[in-house]
This record gives sequence, C-alpha cells and structure tokens, in this order.
Amino acid sequence: MSGLVEKLRRLRNQAGVQAPAPAAAVPEPVSDALARIGDERQRLRRLLDLRPSGKPPSRPSARAPLPLRGEEIAPGLYSVEQRYGVEALAPLLPPRWPDCTPLARTRFLCFDTETTGLAGGSGTRAFMIGAADWVGHELRVRQLYLTAMSGEGAMLEAFARWLQPDTVLVSYNGRSYDAPLLAVRYRLQRLPNPLRDLAHVDLLHPVRRVYRGRWENCRLATIERNVLRIVRDDDLPGSEAPAAWRAFLRDGRSTDLMRVLEHNRQDVATLARLLEHMDQNATPTAWLTSA
Amino acid sequence: MPSDLARLIADKLPAPPDPARLLARLAQRYADRITGQFTVPARPGRYAELPTELSPPLREALRLRGISRLYSHQAEAWDAVQRGQHTVVVTPTASGKSLCYTLPVVDAAIRSRAKALYLFPTKALAQDQVAELLELNRAGNLGVRAYTFDGDTPGDARQAIRLHGDIVVSNPDMLHQGMLPHHTKWAQFFENLRYVVIDEIHSYRGVFGSHLANVLRRLARICAFYGVEPTFILCSATIGNPQEHAENLIGRSVHAITDSGAPCGEKHVLLWNPPVVNPDLGLRASARSQVTRIARAAIRAKLKALVFAPSRLMVEVLTKYLKDVFDHDPRKPARIHAYRGGYLPTERRRTEQLMRAGQIDGLVSTSALELGVDIGALDVVLLQGYPGSIAATWQRFGRAGRRQQGSIGVLVASSQPLDQYIVRHPEFFRAAPPEQARIAPDQPLILLDHIRCAAFELPFVDGDGFGPVAPEAYLQVLAESDVVHREGSRWEWIADAYPANAVNLRSVADGNFVVVDRSDGRQSIIAEVDFSSAALTLYEGAIHMVQSVPYQVEKLDWDGRKAYVTRTHVDYYTDAIDYTRLKVLERFDGVRAGQGNAYLGEVHVVRRVAGYKKIRYYTHENIGYGPVTLPDQELHTTALWWQLPQEALDEAFASRQDALDGFLGAATALHTVASVRVMAESRDLMKSVGSGDASAFVERDQRGRGQWRASDGAAATDAERFTPTVYLYDNYPGGVGLSDPLFRVEAELVREARELIAGCACRAGCPACVGPVLAVDEDAAATPKSQAERVLALLHTV
Repeated sequence: MSGLVEKLRRLRNQAGVQAPAPAAAVPEPVSDALARIGDERQRLRRLLDLRPSGKPPSRPSARAPLPLRGEEIAPGLYSVEQRYGVEALAPLLPPRWPDCTPLARTRFLCFDTETTGLAGGSGTRAFMIGAADWVGHELRVRQLYLTAMSGEGAMLEAFARWLQPDTVLVSYNGRSYDAPLLAVRYRLQRLPNPLRDLAHVDLLHPVRRVYRGRWENCRLATIERNVLRIVRDDDLPGSEAPAAWRAFLRDGRSTDLMRVLEHNRQDVATLARLLEHMDQNATPTAWLTSA
Repeated sequence: MPSDLARLIADKLPAPPDPARLLARLAQRYADRITGQFTVPARPGRYAELPTELSPPLREALRLRGISRLYSHQAEAWDAVQRGQHTVVVTPTASGKSLCYTLPVVDAAIRSRAKALYLFPTKALAQDQVAELLELNRAGNLGVRAYTFDGDTPGDARQAIRLHGDIVVSNPDMLHQGMLPHHTKWAQFFENLRYVVIDEIHSYRGVFGSHLANVLRRLARICAFYGVEPTFILCSATIGNPQEHAENLIGRSVHAITDSGAPCGEKHVLLWNPPVVNPDLGLRASARSQVTRIARAAIRAKLKALVFAPSRLMVEVLTKYLKDVFDHDPRKPARIHAYRGGYLPTERRRTEQLMRAGQIDGLVSTSALELGVDIGALDVVLLQGYPGSIAATWQRFGRAGRRQQGSIGVLVASSQPLDQYIVRHPEFFRAAPPEQARIAPDQPLILLDHIRCAAFELPFVDGDGFGPVAPEAYLQVLAESDVVHREGSRWEWIADAYPANAVNLRSVADGNFVVVDRSDGRQSIIAEVDFSSAALTLYEGAIHMVQSVPYQVEKLDWDGRKAYVTRTHVDYYTDAIDYTRLKVLERFDGVRAGQGNAYLGEVHVVRRVAGYKKIRYYTHENIGYGPVTLPDQELHTTALWWQLPQEALDEAFASRQDALDGFLGAATALHTVASVRVMAESRDLMKSVGSGDASAFVERDQRGRGQWRASDGAAATDAERFTPTVYLYDNYPGGVGLSDPLFRVEAELVREARELIAGCACRAGCPACVGPVLAVDEDAAATPKSQAERVLALLHTV
C-alpha cells in the first residue's frame, strides 16, 4: 500500500500534464519536493484531480448535533412521518392533463429526492426520498433516508410500496431528474422500476409557462416565496445536500443531514400546495395549448 | 492487310497504364539512387464455401452483393467464432477483413436479435462500417439495425439506439465516457450483447492501448453484472505479436488467424536514397524533391499514386507542387487532392469517394490513411521518409495493389539518421519482422483513473479483481480522498463527480483548435487542429494551408481554442522552430558505463516553440523569422541517460566545446540505434542533450556547433560542474516502457552506436551518423565524427 502511494505520488506530476498547466505548476525536482513534504492527503487530492476543498470541509456549526429523527425500519434506513390537517378535499385538476377531468385528490403523490450530486450516471444516488399525499383530512408527509449505503435496496422497496398502479406522481423537474435517477437505482438494485408506468405531472412546465420572466428564475424556492408566500427559516440550500450527506457518512455528523430532512419535507409540502395553486390559477385549456 | 491495320492502330493508341514499365524506367534511370529492390510475389486467392449453417436471408444478401464464396481466412474466422473462441484476424489491407466479423454478427442478429458492439479508433471508420452494413441489410432486407453512436449522435436519437440497435458502432472514447457510466440506460443492449468487435487493434498501442485495455476491463465488469460473456472478434494490420497484443487488450486467450486467403498481385518495393549533392558534407537532395519527381512520373504514366507525407505541412507543400503541374486548368476537375486530419469530415468523405471512383490521379496524405479507410485500388505508393516502423511501412505499401496487376511501393529516405540506416541496410528492412505492439495497462496512473471510473459504474466488493489487478490499494487511495466510501465489504462511490470526463484516453489535452476564416468579413470554420500540434502550426504569423490554399494566422485565442485566419497570397510557407529542455525528477537505477554512468529515471520535459522561419517555395531559402509566444508543452516520462565526469572529459578533449559537439553527435547515433532496437516510431523515442543538473540544455547554433542554453532559452554557460548528458526519453506522459528495456541493454547501444559511426563512409560526419556538419569542419583535425566517437568510447564498458 505505502509503495503504491509512493509511486502514485511520483507520478502525480504526469497527471498534471494532461491539462494544460500554467507555468507555475512546473514541479520541482523530487529532492526539493521531498524536502517540503506537505500533507499527504493534499497530494493525493491533487493526484486525483480534486481541488483541495476551498471551504473547510466541516464548517462546524455552533449548534448541538441533532439526533436522527424517525425510526430505523431496516438496517441503514430511517423513516419519518408527519401529518397536517387540511380543510377541503375536493378533487383536483392536474395541470397539463390530456383530458380535463379532475381526479380524486388521494391519487396524487408529490415526491422529491435528495441526491449525492448532479453529475448523473450510475454513480449518483438518492439518499433521501420524501413524499406528500392526502389521507382523510390530512396531508401526510413521509420521508425515507439512508444512514448507510446498505439501506438503499430497502429504501427503494419501501418507496415502491407507497405507489399504487393508479398513483399520479407530482414533482418539480422530476420527469427529467428524479424519475430517471431512481430508474438507474432500481436497475442497479435489480428491482423493477415502480415509477415506469405511472402518470407523472411535472409542475416545472406549467409553472414556467405561467410565470416565466416574472421573477429571477423559476426555481421552486423562488416560486414558493413569491406565489405561495412561504418563507423558510434556516433552510439548508438543496445544493449543499450532497456535502451534508458525505459529512454524515464520513464522521456521523447528523446536524446538516437533519437540515436536509427538513428542507426535503418543506419541498414536498410546497409541491402539494403548488399543485392546488396551479389547479386554481389556470384554466384547463391553458394547459393544453402547447408550450 | 487487316493485321497491319490493327498494328497501325495499336501503335497509335496510348499504351495501357502498366506499373512494370514505370518500374523498369525508374530502375534504369535512377539505379544509383535505388539502394534496394525486391519483389513480394503475387499470391493466388484461396477460397472456401459459404458456411452451410449461414442463415438463408444473409446468404441471399451476400449473393446479391456479389459474394458467393469466402476467402479462406474468412471461413476460418467463422468457424472459430462459432466455437465461441475470441478471435483475432491479422491480414493485409483490402483482404475482406470486415466480413470476418460481419458474418457471425449479422447472422446472430437475424436469428436471435443478439447484439454487437463495434469499436473503431475513428468516427470516419465507424461511419464507413455502418454504410457497409446498411447496404448488406438493404440487399437482403434483413431487418438488422446498425447505428453509429458517437459524440455527433443527436440526443433524441440516442434513446432509440440504446433500445433498438442490433449493432452499435462506436469508439473507445464513447464507450468510456458515454456508455459505461450510463450502463443502466443500456441495460437491454448489454443483456443481449453477444459480440464485441474491435478493428484496427494495431492502432491501440502505448498510452491509448493501455487505456483501452482498462476500458475493456470495465466493460467486463458491466457484462458480468448483466450476466453476459460476449465473444471478442478483433482485427489488426500486420504487427509482430497480434495474438499477444489481442490477449493483452482483452485479458483473455485469443485464437489468431494470420493467413490471408485474399489474392494479390506482385508488389515491387524500392528503397530510394536521394542523390548526394555535397559529397564532403554527406548532404543529400531532399526526400521531398525525389517524391515529387517520382509522383510526376507515375501520374504521367497514368498510374494512380498515393503519397504519404511526414506532416500536415508537407502534405500541403507536396499537393501544391503536384497541382502546379497537373491542375493548372481551373475549368477541369482537380486531379490532385490532399487528405489529412484537420480537414472537415465532409471534405474527407468527398475525397474518399472521388478516389474510389478513380477520379483522382494523385492523393497526398498523412498517416490518416494508414487506417482502413476504403479508397479503392492504387498502383503506386510513395513514402516521403521512413514512417518510423517496419509495420507502418508495410501498412502504407499495402495501400497499393490490384488483384491482377503488380504495384509499386517506394520508400524515399530523408536525411534523418533512422531513414539513412534503413535504406543503407536493405537486407535489414527486408528481413525485419514487423514491430510488436506494446501496452502497459497496469501503469499506476492509468489504473487509478480506470478503477475510479469503474467504482462509479458499479461498487467494488472485497475480492473483486480488476483484470489481473487487486484493486484494494487503489480503492483505499480513493477512499482517503472521499471518492469512494467503504461500508462493510463494499466500496461505494460517494463523490459528486463524473470521473470519465476527467480521463482522456488519447492523452491529448483539452480538445481541438478550430481554424476560423475571417476573409471578407465572413466567419467560417475551415479546419480543426489537435491540441498537440496547435503550437507548431497555429502561432500568429503562421501560414496555415488547407488543400494548399494559404491562410495566414492573424490571431490565436489559446484559451478559447480558436485561430483566426485570412486568405493570403504569399510565396512562402512557415515552419516552427522548437526546442526541448529536460529535468531529472528521480533516478530509478544506475550503472557504470565506461568511465561514466548510465541512469534510468523519471524526467520532466518542456517543449517550447520559440519562433518560426519563413521559407520560400521551390528555392527553400530562408527569408525571415518571426517570434512566437505560447505556453510550453509539458510531459513527464521515463528516460535513460548517459553522463561522463568532468575529469574524464577534460582529459580526453582539447576544449569543452569539442566535448559538447561530441555529445551532440553521440546523441544522434545513440538515438538511431535505440530506435531501431526497440522498433520505436521515431516520434515515440526522443533525444536531448543537457547539463547534468538540468540548469541548461544544448542545441546546435547556425554553424552546427553545440551551444548551452539556459532554461529560458537565453545563451548560457555550463554550470560549475561540466556534465553534459545524453537523454533518450519516451515521448508519452508516464512513459510507455521503451526506456526500461533500452536501459538494460545500454552497453550494447553504446557499442552499436560506435559501430554505426565507424562504419559510415563519410569523413567528418554526416546526417546518417552524427548529424549534419559544416564545411569548415571538414578539414579540422578533430572532426565532429571523431569527437562523437571519443565520447562513445569513454562510455563504452569493454
């Protein structure tokens, strides 16, 4: 092992060659380099083309570590459920639906995933899945999250059990992002993909049609703030979710992972309200004219 | 009476083109320039019946395409593949290689919708192959779906190809970056994958080949995940170790088929040394002038000629010279065309078509035509300069040849020592086996790259191998950098990255430059130049030629990878002046070499383009210089080097200048014998002379004398300790295993270099032994030749 690390260290300069390196990157002779042996970890990072992380990896917050929420339903898999009272439970008209028949509210399932990154391909996974649906007089928010990689199969199976053949999925950019990503994960776990034949309403498209150009962008947080007047408190931006997950995996720091859980809960709750809002704020024909 | 008339008419008719006549004329007129002449005898075809078990629709399609029997090697390939053996077919150009894989692949697609993946080194070859498959498919209405899948495939077509393609024709880069990291999208394809076809495997050598071997290790993991074990069918031009090379690439045992059943006419090979124009200096006429002369004679004799030029620049120069003779009437279609990398694909396709249709009389090309691009039959192949390997020489000669008629291949030597060695030792050329293709798939950096990519594609589980490599140590390194996470017995990918994008199989940094023509206010892209040659051809002031039309580079946007040019009318071309300096990073090994030492180790090489020369057409006089400021090109690689201590040099040489000149000459001779020994293409093994402490390097000044240059190119003196050093290094990042075997025979290299110089007929030194010398040195007591001999003698362990 140490022999290999040594050898890789020696060769790291060659890897640097492949990118047109600025003149400053010319390595010193090894004798000099040895004389100023730096941090072994930093050298490996350079070898691996990883930038030394600009921000301190931990950013230890002043907060006390938050305990893991929910219950462990399988090794490495936690489940959280919350319910919120709602008033009317009228059927809903799904935006951009081929025929303009309102559907029973209970058929909708709003979902969102938190993933290890945006790179795509078989190395990107979801470590958290949240879903909101209406049950009786309540909006039910259920969330699954991993505390170990080995829980992934159980998580995917648990999510599959939430879906019925007549479920209508609701997402924000989920047709392009979350659903294909989950398809990859089900395939890698050799499980059937339960999303494949389900109807799927991606609210990004009707929202874009109605609100394009009105605010700085059409991201869910922007729409939520401006349309639904929801203000989040202490929200962890979605872009920081991958780092939060890695920090938890590496040294068990759960604080930011719990903030991701809250962020995800708010996202799916917002999706449910946005579905209702879009139903009430646009005529059925508006969805049918092409974009 | 009628017979007289017939004779009368026959006399008036032009003689049919006949290569034999040209051959006789060349042999008679230029006997003194032809150093070797031999004939590869014609070979009759050997045939076999179509396999009885071939599916009837395919049999019918073949019949409609005019194929009613097979060459013996095609039938042999069918049998081996049906037995489930991985198979490599090694036969000459135009011997019907592609049918060796088309038959089993198409047959399996018809019978059981089995899928096949084809890999070609270039997009152009992939497109050729799909066109051929489509024609066969159309002829027999076979319903087999073949598609190219490469960087140009539009996004909306990709899904259909993944789901419905029976034969997906792609390249290693696309498999690496586009398919394997997204293998779940290709699940149906992989689940039914029966054949993997890899053509032109002789081109996967060195770094590229080492990368491909690792991409195939990744493919093997993916295939195992989907429960398939495809059969590999590989094809290669002639190389010395086809079976071993194929086995190294795919990591499995392979059945080799090396006997071609295709007929071919006899082939005459001439080795041609340009005449000596200055006997004292050993200076010869240029290879370019000789090639132009022979090409003119061939085209006038109505023979179809193909000229291989050593560089893109020389392609343009030769094209211009031939066009000046044959294409002066603009109303007629051009008889002379140029072909090289950097032309737009559509333009190359058009040239190939014209060539196949027999509408081009002379084609001037770079090595781009070495690969199996179909250009039809030719009579004469001319090589300007030795391509650097026996195998490449025969591959190029293989371009000439018709079934019935003889053909001619001429190798015209340049003044490079390696060229001179070859044409002066015709028996060596004739008897030398073609080179072995070498790869180093377990090179640590390449391995690390691909284990990282593999971990992204599927998690490693303890006990998993990666080819023959145990990946644990690499995975630990990756885990230390938070790229993978170890949990239980598994190594799971956790980084937010797409690792394949950071790994370039061809080791070419950062993509191509585009050449933008801004003449007349337009902005159109007229050419592409790869990164490695951009610094040598696209500096501001350069004359950049496309089909021998000159454009001048006005602005080079290095970061944006664009060169802006305008049409110009000048009577000169430009040639870059570049130099190399070299720094030792680490010694791996060292031995005594005579009174000095020889070492093996790792070096850092920097190549800089300092300026350029303007050279007038035809007279080739130097009519000016221009400066160039561009980033340095850098390389880390392995090298071997020889050094002598100051005491030994002070004792043996009258002056340090003499010793320096001796080192330059010794470097030339050592480089020549080393290149021959490892059968390296000359650009794979490079030489340099520098100071032992790397503070300065040596180059020849305008008088041919060695001069110290500091690392910034300014004139310099040697460091306090005078330790000139000869370096030979692998011209690839990380090295490709040339230096190591050379180091082990360093004493023999020194001996052979001494013999080379001692055996050269020149008096004071010449380009064939120690490099060019100047007239003033002719009568000097200590000639460059004797100085080089002295350096080698000091290094020689007797």
